[in-house]
Amino acid sequence: MVASKKTKKSTDNINNKLQLVMKSGKYTLGYKTVLRTLRNSKSKLVIISNNCPPLRKSEIEYYAMLAKVTVHHFHGNNVDLGTACGKYFRVCCLSIIDPGDSDIIKTTPGDQ
Amino acid sequence: MVKFLKPGKAVILLQGRFAGRKAVIVRVFEEGTRDRPYGHCLVAGLAKYPKKVIRKDSAKKTAKKSRVKCFIKLVNFTHLMPTRYTLDVDLKDVAAGTDALSTRDKKVAACKAAKARLEERFKTGKNRWFFTKLRF
Repeated sequence: MVASKKTKKSTDNINNKLQLVMKSGKYTLGYKTVLRTLRNSKSKLVIISNNCPPLRKSEIEYYAMLAKVTVHHFHGNNVDLGTACGKYFRVCCLSIIDPGDSDIIKTTPGDQ
Repeated sequence: MVKFLKPGKAVILLQGRFAGRKAVIVRVFEEGTRDRPYGHCLVAGLAKYPKKVIRKDSAKKTAKKSRVKCFIKLVNFTHLMPTRYTLDVDLKDVAAGTDALSTRDKKVAACKAAKARLEERFKTGKNRWFFTKLRF
């Protein structure tokens, strides 16, 4: 009841924050670049869609654990994540390098 | 946000002849070099793992089973899987510079030195994970 309402608001919040990051910040989309940013420690936050293949999901989570970067599991599949990024293609995982004006880095770990 | 591909990190090679083998990062070339314009590192790994030693084995057999064959290689970061394990073996003087791989003689000498270090580390019984073969 209250909990589900809260999660609905959180997904909207994430979408809004993502929109702001797309406009003002630096990010990369896609598995290869996500791993690259994790390796050279440029990534600040990693977002994974819910239909990401489990092996790929655990690999990204492992890299993020080594790099001490939070991973956010997006409540939506890659189509939704692509739409949330304002793109017309599917996005399975993305990495935020510089949040710009957004406070997505500060608020996301608290939600999850 | 923490750099984890540092010297001493245990990694698993994903591509090439030594795919599936465990190795330890010796030296990191973060920005690459002119020959290799990508992030890569020098790793020293186990081409042949030491065999399983049991209590029944004689000293001669134990010595034979604890032998290790080593390899030294420059590997792209994308062809490595980093692990949470580290292996603090002092391999810096073994394969210090890029000249360790320049000629065949130097490479063989470096491999032999790395082999000696890794064998003595295996004999102490520490870093057991590193010296067991990855089953896949």
